[in-house]
Amino acid sequence: MLAKLRLFARLALVRPRFAAGYVIVVVVTILAILAPVIAPFSPTEADSLSFLQPPSSAHVFGTDNVGMDIFSRAIYAPRIDLTIAILGTGLSALLGGSLGALVGYYSSGQGIRVWLSFALMRAADVLQAFPIFVFAIALVASLGQSIQTVVLAIAFVNAPIYLRLMRSQVLSIRSMRYVEASQVNGLSDFQTIIRHVIPNAMGPVLAQLSINVGWGIVLTAALSFIGAGVRAPTPEWGSMIAMGFQNVVTGQWWPSMFPGTMLAVTVFGFSLIGASIEVLADPAKRRLLLTDVRLRDIARAAKTAKRASLGQG
Amino acid sequence: MPETSAAPLIAVRDLRVEFPGANASKEVLKRVSLTVQPGEILGLVGESGAGKTTLARSILGVPPTSGRIAAGEVIFEGRNILDLPEPELRKLRGSRLSIVVPNPRAELNPTMTVGKQIAAMARIHLGVDRAQAARMALAMLSDVHIPDPQRRMNAYPHELSGGMAQRVVIAMALICNPAFIISDDATSGLDVTVQAQILSLLGGLAADHGSAMLFITRDIGIAAHFCDRVAVLYSGEIMELAPREELFLKPAHPYTLMLLAAFSHSPKLRDAWRVAETGARQIRDGGCSYANRCPLAQPVCSDGRPPFAEIRPGHFARCHFPVSHE
Amino acid sequence: MRVLTYLAHRLLFVIPQLFGIILVSFLLVKSVPGDPAVLMLGPTATPAAIASLRKVLGLDQPLYVQFFIYVKNLLHGNLGTSWQTTRPVLDDLIQRFPATLELVTLSLLVAIVVGVTLGLYAATRPNGWIARFADLYGLSVGALPDFWFALVLIFVFYTMLGWAPAPLGRLDMIIIPPPSVTGALTIDTLLAGDLQAFGSGLSHLALPVLTLGLLNAGPILKMTQSTMEKMLESDFSRYEVLCGVPERLVTRHALRNALPSIVTIISVLYGFLIGGAVLVEIVFSWGGAGQYAVQGVLNSDIYPVLGFVLFSAIFSLIVYIVVDLIYVLLDPRISN
Repeated sequence: MLAKLRLFARLALVRPRFAAGYVIVVVVTILAILAPVIAPFSPTEADSLSFLQPPSSAHVFGTDNVGMDIFSRAIYAPRIDLTIAILGTGLSALLGGSLGALVGYYSSGQGIRVWLSFALMRAADVLQAFPIFVFAIALVASLGQSIQTVVLAIAFVNAPIYLRLMRSQVLSIRSMRYVEASQVNGLSDFQTIIRHVIPNAMGPVLAQLSINVGWGIVLTAALSFIGAGVRAPTPEWGSMIAMGFQNVVTGQWWPSMFPGTMLAVTVFGFSLIGASIEVLADPAKRRLLLTDVRLRDIARAAKTAKRASLGQG
Repeated sequence: MPETSAAPLIAVRDLRVEFPGANASKEVLKRVSLTVQPGEILGLVGESGAGKTTLARSILGVPPTSGRIAAGEVIFEGRNILDLPEPELRKLRGSRLSIVVPNPRAELNPTMTVGKQIAAMARIHLGVDRAQAARMALAMLSDVHIPDPQRRMNAYPHELSGGMAQRVVIAMALICNPAFIISDDATSGLDVTVQAQILSLLGGLAADHGSAMLFITRDIGIAAHFCDRVAVLYSGEIMELAPREELFLKPAHPYTLMLLAAFSHSPKLRDAWRVAETGARQIRDGGCSYANRCPLAQPVCSDGRPPFAEIRPGHFARCHFPVSHE
Repeated sequence: MRVLTYLAHRLLFVIPQLFGIILVSFLLVKSVPGDPAVLMLGPTATPAAIASLRKVLGLDQPLYVQFFIYVKNLLHGNLGTSWQTTRPVLDDLIQRFPATLELVTLSLLVAIVVGVTLGLYAATRPNGWIARFADLYGLSVGALPDFWFALVLIFVFYTMLGWAPAPLGRLDMIIIPPPSVTGALTIDTLLAGDLQAFGSGLSHLALPVLTLGLLNAGPILKMTQSTMEKMLESDFSRYEVLCGVPERLVTRHALRNALPSIVTIISVLYGFLIGGAVLVEIVFSWGGAGQYAVQGVLNSDIYPVLGFVLFSAIFSLIVYIVVDLIYVLLDPRISN
């Protein structure tokens, strides 16, 4: 088990961009967790005398237009953003995924199940035809503006993706022989799904999850940016950007740029992780990666051997 | 490589092609050498996996996907074409050296009409304008005896039958009047009657244009009737090379005998020449690659690679104990 | 003739889809809290005035009756009235939708040029630095927030360099807009022969188009790259190499075969961007339809939201149908 993890780690790190992705996300998570310890100032208290100060030794990222320290707020913000995004994405995967698996399983056969599956797929179509952002805002507005509702909005918006993903996974695996074999062996439908579908679907689902968490953060920030998400003064990257928006135009870039850049880098990190999972999950691409690792090992061994022989001679 | 005294049109020398494998590279062609004289039809017979398509494409410098030409030369018109830069090689391909591929419907461009594809050959290699190229393509379609050529010009590959698509590919190979044609398994997968038509078409066109041909096939019977000389390929090596009658009447290599026996139409010949094959197929280093299947194998066959020896004038075999017919 | 029957078929499917969209939007929007009558009359309104306004607006009826009335009005071309602008929603949208359409279309063009070019390069020279850059670029798909990127561009090109105009709408303040023919400034100014307005419109379009275009080139790039790679490794491409077809032509033929997939992603993007341009519209005060809808949601003004959803849904469906027709032209295997 440990050896497998080691191999996984080596594979994940052999491409610098993958390593960068993991590093980024880990760093941001640590910052979020340790924020109460690291932050020099309170994220919600304003020192109204020192507003719009450029970055200095006292305020590393400067202060915003009401005097709050941007650095403290910027490292507190991922607590909200990450939590909302992870919860929302996880919920969407569970909801959409389980529904999708069922739809895939009952999409042929008889009776009301087939009908329900069809109706559910059409409902997903309608949901996906919606302009996402307007839909999210409407959801938040109708359910009341709070963290929980933003989570729900993210869950709803992303659920169709997992629905389709799991459905296509189930459909493609159903037609494979070894599933028939296991059914012949007497496993029930449910057990078949668990045993066969889930391990195969893991790869694409995980890759999608990672990318979706990134999207979730962007959506949270966007909602807060227009004032329909997390309310001020709770530190959140999107609302921080909104607060500093006018200042950018007049030249004080730090209230918006610092949180904005952190936001962009974090989301990019999740994107990179998603790409790395995609490669690791696909056996063909994994083989290519493995070849690269082996070539590197060979080159390294050759170099050490050469150095040794030169040392001797 | 001792051959006939006239200068060959094309000479393949010690061609080695390998493919990446799980642990090490796998040698699919092991130092293959052959020559083709101007105007001659050289047959190449081999079973599936022997390396026929690899050889066909590697001669043109395009080994199949992930393959690599590790060593060797292909001498044509005085130079080693494998050394040429890719753009130079492309000028030769299709115009002086062309190939007829099997399974043509998969190889033709699905979004272009066949007329345009044939005409494209003329436009690219002969530099003629569009109208002239279209005329040439139409003429070529008639030459390959496609029924209703005018209509077929505007057909798409998926609208054609296997036989018609094969004729299209032949048209594409011949329109620029190449000096050398490789026919790679051009008749497999076709109905027997269509096979016969395609064969006579190929032979006739080659003769008309004065082209030399490397005729690759799995069917030794066809090769023996159609070609001037025949080479036998097994596991990436040429095992035997002889003029047609010699090969058919006095085959020297045990593998050739097996092939002839399997394809022979005469039950008496089959019984007379049937040799029981033994052993599983294993890839062995050193020794004759046929040793583990050869019913006539001796211990020495596993030790040393037999040389490609001339056992009779113009008749070569790679065997320690070639079958004698005295 | 076959084309017409195909169209009829598709339109038949479109109607239930549209109905579903209208229904869901209606229910969703109706659940947004806030009493429109109260909001319209203001905090000093008497309960009697509110009650009578509610009656006029039909808000005292049960939900399904309201829905029925709404659909009936729709069929007569009445999309309701916005209490914020006090104008019919249809008029508001006709005024604003072209702004969004112009922005989105130009951005899509930029995205196509950037995405297809980079994707082609990455596919034909897989070991070059362009391919590496293209990989990273493709990863920024959906990752980088557009409102942040817009802000960066504004800061660099307006605040620092002074090249771009202030992000305050589609035209300079002092310029009189041309008579509205299509609603698209680029076209209308040219039609009116007003070159100064044309230039002003273009300069205001520059940053938002750059934002949306560069950020959305990612999916197009990835699709182009992966499809081209597949095509270049396919049997027919290898056969062309065997026939001595020069590299440029092989690439062109492969691209021709890759077009269906690329056109698909472009169409999906087109439909998505109509609603997805909202944040950029807000940042640049564009006065587009998406911005209009967002303001509707935030102010419990439901008809603009419904109208916008309807417009964008119909637009998407039209795009998909046009694309399907294009497929029939592109791929000779389909028409059979």
